[in-house]
Amino acid sequence: MIGTAATVRRSDVGAFRLLRPRWPSPERALFIAAAFAVTLLVAPPLVAVVATSIGQGAAAALLTPLHQPAILLNTLVLGLAATTGAVTIGGGLALMLGGNGVPGRGLLERLVIVPLYLTPLLTAIGWSWIGSPRSGLLNLFLHGVGLTEVDVNMVSAGGVVAVSILSYAPLPFLLISDALRGIDAAMIEAARVHGASRRFALRRIVLPLLLPAALASSLLVFVQAIGMFSVPAVLGMPSGFNVATTEIFRLLENYPPRIGEATAWGLYLLAVTAALTFAQSVLLGRRSFATITGKSFRPHVPGRSKARHLYAAAAWLYVLLATVLPLLALLWAASIDFVTADPRLMRLTARHFAFVLFQYPKTWLAAGNSALLGVATATLVTLLGLAVSWVVIRTRLRGRTSLDQLSMVPLSMPAMVFALGLLWVYVAIPFLPIYGTIGILLVAYVTHYLPFGVRAAAGAIRQLHPELEEAARVAGASWLQSMRWITMPLLRPALFASWILLFVMALHEVSASILLYTSSSTVLSVTTFDLWENGNPSDVAALGFAQLAATFVIVGFLLRARRRAVLA
Amino acid sequence: MTAHATREEGDSIVAVEGLAVWHGPVPAVRSLDLTVRRSEILTLLGPSGCGKTTTLRAIAGLEAPRGGRIAIDGRTVFDAGRGVNLPPEKRGLSMVFQSYAIWPHLTVFENVAFGFRARGIGGDRVREAVRRSLALVGLDALAERPATRLSGGQQQRVALARAIACDPGVILLDEPLSNLDAQLRLAMRAELKELQRKLSLTAIYVTHDQEEALVLSDRILVMRQGEVEQAGAPAEIREAPASRFVAEFMGVRNIFPCMVAGGQGGRPVAMLTGGVRLETRAAATSTGPTFVCFRPTSVRLFAAANGGGYPGTLVRRALLGDLMQSVVRSGELEICAHHFPGDGLSEGDSVRWSVAPDACFLVRA
Repeated sequence: MIGTAATVRRSDVGAFRLLRPRWPSPERALFIAAAFAVTLLVAPPLVAVVATSIGQGAAAALLTPLHQPAILLNTLVLGLAATTGAVTIGGGLALMLGGNGVPGRGLLERLVIVPLYLTPLLTAIGWSWIGSPRSGLLNLFLHGVGLTEVDVNMVSAGGVVAVSILSYAPLPFLLISDALRGIDAAMIEAARVHGASRRFALRRIVLPLLLPAALASSLLVFVQAIGMFSVPAVLGMPSGFNVATTEIFRLLENYPPRIGEATAWGLYLLAVTAALTFAQSVLLGRRSFATITGKSFRPHVPGRSKARHLYAAAAWLYVLLATVLPLLALLWAASIDFVTADPRLMRLTARHFAFVLFQYPKTWLAAGNSALLGVATATLVTLLGLAVSWVVIRTRLRGRTSLDQLSMVPLSMPAMVFALGLLWVYVAIPFLPIYGTIGILLVAYVTHYLPFGVRAAAGAIRQLHPELEEAARVAGASWLQSMRWITMPLLRPALFASWILLFVMALHEVSASILLYTSSSTVLSVTTFDLWENGNPSDVAALGFAQLAATFVIVGFLLRARRRAVLA
Repeated sequence: MTAHATREEGDSIVAVEGLAVWHGPVPAVRSLDLTVRRSEILTLLGPSGCGKTTTLRAIAGLEAPRGGRIAIDGRTVFDAGRGVNLPPEKRGLSMVFQSYAIWPHLTVFENVAFGFRARGIGGDRVREAVRRSLALVGLDALAERPATRLSGGQQQRVALARAIACDPGVILLDEPLSNLDAQLRLAMRAELKELQRKLSLTAIYVTHDQEEALVLSDRILVMRQGEVEQAGAPAEIREAPASRFVAEFMGVRNIFPCMVAGGQGGRPVAMLTGGVRLETRAAATSTGPTFVCFRPTSVRLFAAANGGGYPGTLVRRALLGDLMQSVVRSGELEICAHHFPGDGLSEGDSVRWSVAPDACFLVRA
């Protein structure tokens, strides 16, 4: 027998039995490992939430949300309003900045997505300084110029909705911009040649092609908005505007914690998001929106519009409201000595920065934990996302589609619900002592951000012609060598970009962290919230601003190092 | 497999038996046999979806077949019955891909040297081999250039250099010329043939272009719906298509259903509708529906006044490069003729047509 080292005799294989493909053993191993990891991450908390709220004779607790119709209604209203607003603004900005000749288009495209790198918690705190009734900066200004009757109140239901819209608009902006770039110019030209006006082509060709992206981002924003804790906690709770997440928080803050009722709320949130996810898949079902088809693809760039200066102004207004004003408010709040009714009496001081950086005992503990979690989350999610996407896109293994779907489940699972499930699971498993450590936070983060990692890697792998990897295999490279020498180097820029976004998102996570932290495993976002509840508001601003500044320095440094590595 | 079996295969480098590949519930290749002898180019020819690329990829190990056996250089690389399936890197082949698959993050040199790197070979030997193969494709001056800064034709040459650098037993070529423009395609076709002769390469070539297949191949397998329709030397395939499908694919435009009768001198006579009787050169042995075929270049057209042949009306003419195409309606038949322009006929004229007996042949459906 010559050179058949890989021969495996299978006595039961007859000539006409189906042969299981044997050569993709490294692929199969990767598939099994990825499926194992994803299942272990996603399934237990999900099962725990459903099982505990149904089992244990918890029927009474299961009905609690129905006794609080106001909170149910508030949650739905917040979700719908934030979704409508964010998709309108994000989609509008995508269409406006998509055209040629908008002044400062390149810069604006980058500034518009900055809120992704801020945290809604800090945006909300910033806006509470600007718009708190009577003493807010905006009101001081308005009263100062004589408009004493006007009083803007951001600490209200309206404020919660407005800040949510500002914070989440970049998601639809990104998805819809991508979809816009995916439209072949020939499709628009064909419409124009066949007699369509520019407006008609927009309405009948462009907008329908953007529909899947708009629906996908609607669902994304809705799930994020109803699962969001920070903004309702900062701007809603003080004004009596309570939603499901703040209610879960309140129930768990009780002594003893009312876990059963909290879990019931979680189940309700889960039911809503699951139903919407299902509805979306039915809606988009069999319609294929493959717009990028062949070789001669040219992206569609709308022509120079007369309103381009107006578009630029609108984008700048968004940047001002979502980024510049809240950041300035934070900086101002962190730098004044005392808040007084008369702005002339306020003095600048560095003592708030000094306090949070040198005296407040939790700052550096939290910063260390956050940095560790950020790096670990970004790395693990990037690798797991790559593994899942590679298996799903590059192999024909049975079950790969289920793996893809399973890895997307966290998208329709509010972080707080997920954290509840994790609590049940890891309190119940004594031999896995990660409860009370940052280990449980890491599990929560990795699971919560997994869909982002999978999507980012999938996008990058689809850009890569499969023959590039096949050529390496035929040329004599093993699977591992082909991954190391061909696939990974070619994917590196895309994976690096998603790593940075994941790192920043992990730093900002509040909703799950707030349920899972302990005094030794606290993180920056939780410390900020803690200080906001129990400390000096100017100290919160200082901590928040310092945190943002550090994040931007780190990200800037990484990007620069990356650029140098590419040039070298 | 024993050494005895190896010897039996003699000169064949690649031997495929009973290959079956399924894509989900759809059979892409069913029970295909082929052998490739040393230093020959075997071409898999057929329309898209006929299974030719799937066959090539199964030989490369990029596709998991459901049944059959593949041996390369006397070594079994796939055997469904015994569960043997070597990964692509263990098969000692090289391949030129339709997209060229030039790695954009490597230089031209590193692209060509990849096969050595993957096998852990380094040093002067690699440098020498890479330089030699780049010189063979005329790219030695571009060795240090990043692979992204190459034209389509240059990428094609790099892919070729990469395929010959490691001195593989067999080179697989998957429609390598289909992404080039027409002129470059002709030039590369000639170069490829030249290179194959010079290096005595053994190759399997996949294409849907009959002309490419005729020019390049030593033998051609015409494929249809996952099966071999006809195998033979280029001249054989061109002159004696075995079926209507092959005849059509090889550019025979005149194909008509007919009855067959014995004629004088043992030559069968095809009887067509409208009383047209055409003497043919070979016997159609199979039963079932039979068709008579002749190439457009075998049709002779002349003015009706001359007599002889069969009557018809000249309904359409168009200039195809050097030749004129004329379509003649003759009863229910529509005859297509290619001939030199300048016969003084014009559309609407009554004409007569005939075909030389040697040019007519019979095929099965």
